[in-house]
Amino acid sequence: MKFAIAVFSPAHAPSSRRALRFAQAALAGGHEIVRLFFYQDGVHSASGNVVAPQDELDLPAEWRAFVSAEQLDAVVCIAAALRRGVLNAEEAQRYQRPAVNLPAPWELSGLGQLHEAAQVADRLMCFGGD
Amino acid sequence: MSTLHVISHSPFGDNRLSSCLRLLGQADGLLLCGDAVYALQPGSEPLRSLQASQLDGRLFALDEDLQARAIAISDLGQAIDYPAFVELSLHYDKVNSWL
Repeated sequence: MKFAIAVFSPAHAPSSRRALRFAQAALAGGHEIVRLFFYQDGVHSASGNVVAPQDELDLPAEWRAFVSAEQLDAVVCIAAALRRGVLNAEEAQRYQRPAVNLPAPWELSGLGQLHEAAQVADRLMCFGGD
Repeated sequence: MSTLHVISHSPFGDNRLSSCLRLLGQADGLLLCGDAVYALQPGSEPLRSLQASQLDGRLFALDEDLQARAIAISDLGQAIDYPAFVELSLHYDKVNSWL
């Protein structure tokens, strides 16, 4: 079966970790993830600048490794990202900001990508809250 | 059309759980995760609501969140792991997360 997974909570929220564990379990169960979509505060999980305390899970790093290893389509909402200062090289240049913190494998795109993923997938799973 | 409702907020902080129980269809399921598992706290008002809702076979809680908070689900529902969470989401026609 096909899943679309949307993450609404920031990297330090327990629900963001649940989203990752669910995604890993879905692939391990032989299912497909058509797209990951990071929306609202979820865009912080894509930031390359997050520094997790040493004794805590580095969730952004785990997402990065997971997305790269599984070659997943991982979209970060561009409007949500820009307003939170999560920029790739192109946007940093466009708005003349001093830093880039959205490295590969993430892609900045619009909310239409979430809508399309929801249409293509058998289930849309949204993760947010505590 | 059956729906799996997923709640992750504490029932002591808002009314998501009571709203959800009011809307829950006969074939719908309820999964408690994160702080929402506090609804199973013995002697609490949220637990009484769950018990009164006749959720036989339709109430689930994420096992790791139960363990992290030292809460038991007893025979009221079923503790599930992530692979079971994935299968549960496919067992119902759609999944509604109470963000």
